[in-house]
Amino acid sequence: MKNKVLMGLAAITMVAFLSSCGKVPQDQIDATNAAIATAQTAEAAVYVPAELAAVQDSMKVIMANIEVQKSKLFKKFGPATLKLDETLAAANKVAADATAKKAEVKKEVETTLTDIKAVIAENADLMKKAPRGKEGAIALEQMKTEMATVEASVTEAQALYDKGTYLDALNKVKAAKEIAVGINTELKDAIAKVKGKAKPAAKK
Amino acid sequence: MLIFAAIAVSFPLALLLLIRLTPRPPVREMEYARETLSKAGSDRADTYSKKLFTQAAIYYDSAMVNWKRENKRFIYFRDYEKVAFFAELSAKKAIQAGDNSISSTSSLKIKLKQKFETLNDLISEINNLFTTYPLSSEIRNRISNGKMLLEEAEIAYKKGQYLQANRKMTDSEYLLTASYDNASSNLKNYFKSYSVWKNWADRTINDSKKNRDYSIIIDKFSRKCFIYHNGSKKYEFDTELGKNWVGDKREKGDNATPEGMYKIIKKFDTNKTKYYKALLLDYPNDEDMAAFKSDIARGKLPPSAKIGGLIEIHGNGGKGIDWTEGCIALTDKDMDIVFKLAKGGTPVTIVGSTHELEEVVNR
Repeated sequence: MKNKVLMGLAAITMVAFLSSCGKVPQDQIDATNAAIATAQTAEAAVYVPAELAAVQDSMKVIMANIEVQKSKLFKKFGPATLKLDETLAAANKVAADATAKKAEVKKEVETTLTDIKAVIAENADLMKKAPRGKEGAIALEQMKTEMATVEASVTEAQALYDKGTYLDALNKVKAAKEIAVGINTELKDAIAKVKGKAKPAAKK
Repeated sequence: MLIFAAIAVSFPLALLLLIRLTPRPPVREMEYARETLSKAGSDRADTYSKKLFTQAAIYYDSAMVNWKRENKRFIYFRDYEKVAFFAELSAKKAIQAGDNSISSTSSLKIKLKQKFETLNDLISEINNLFTTYPLSSEIRNRISNGKMLLEEAEIAYKKGQYLQANRKMTDSEYLLTASYDNASSNLKNYFKSYSVWKNWADRTINDSKKNRDYSIIIDKFSRKCFIYHNGSKKYEFDTELGKNWVGDKREKGDNATPEGMYKIIKKFDTNKTKYYKALLLDYPNDEDMAAFKSDIARGKLPPSAKIGGLIEIHGNGGKGIDWTEGCIALTDKDMDIVFKLAKGGTPVTIVGSTHELEEVVNR
């Protein structure tokens, strides 16, 4: 009989214990949401979109699990709390990765801007040395127009850089560099051809 | 004691019954909705099927809001029907969004690839056709901007930014196509006089044969000076023309090289001209005078306009650009040859081209 009484008491204690265990980890939820917001502010959607999507998805899973527990008579938020800790760490990593990627892109824009300015200067110099044959003059006119477009593009890329939209700036400056390098090659080839003509080939 | 025993037995039973009677939330439906939404996201439906994806996300949020609201109610009064409804709707929309995104991306990629090829071909044709043709600076700028936009589009395409690539390519297409159309209609217009030019050139060659003498033909488009003797071509020299060589000369100061059948009326040796040596033509001839008067009468030229003159074949050429005010410049070396064989009365026929436009295009 004594045992039965003890079992009954144990069951009541268990029910009481299980019910008291069910407290929503609101602080961790808030902290994780704040970390995700910080990642978004760090432009994770632009620089590390897949990482951000993964963290947002994890948060959705957690919130659904919390509601699952809230739907139950005996709530158990322990696993959700653990998941929240993991997601918080992941969100912080996403923010850090976004910042790092942004810095990397920024650096790439700076390097490409420096490179293209050198190519522009070299092209201006090569234009003076370029041959002006029958078709040369008109081709040079077109090249000059294209170099003016390149310079305008560099100015636009610089403005995008100043605004902090580094990916757009990078696309623009890369396109401008492609054109400028193409012109550079064309000019060098034309000059080399003329030099080749000037030197008669050695007799074999 | 019996009471305690009854409680001990009935309590767990009651508890089990209570648990069984608790309404069950649509966990599987919610999980499925979240998974499909996540997959749609990884299929980039947020970009390529934005409307459907947004709807799916809104339905998922609605399901969560309803779930939270139901969970706040007393456990036995909860009703998860709406949650299931929204979850199902969200999954349906997310699947549609994902499928739509995949098919749109794929067709956009094909479209962009084709457009790339078309526009690159167009650029090659522009380069090929207008290498020696003086386009206006506005058209040159448009072509240049079109090329730049195409380059930007290619970079965006390689990064998988298809919408951005499409926007850039559409702008590029507009600039390049409009420039090409404009330039080629200009060129076609120019070649409208081809039959007249051909007639002049044939007559000039025949006269050279008939008279057993020299005659000169200037081909403006290919910048060539051909010397015929006894109906056969003896020499071919490069020339430089007026800065505004396209089209016939209409008035003094328009920097155009005239088109017509002329004759040499005077020769200037080295000490008589600042252009090394020169052969003065009888421009304006009767046709030029008639055309000039007609232009004034029809208001195409102002009454104060003057017809101009002093069109010559002269030296100081070889600059590589069209620099004269309407004359034909040769290198001094070539000028020596032409000067030697030409005399007063030698025919000089200036034509836009000795080849048809199709030939010029396919050269």
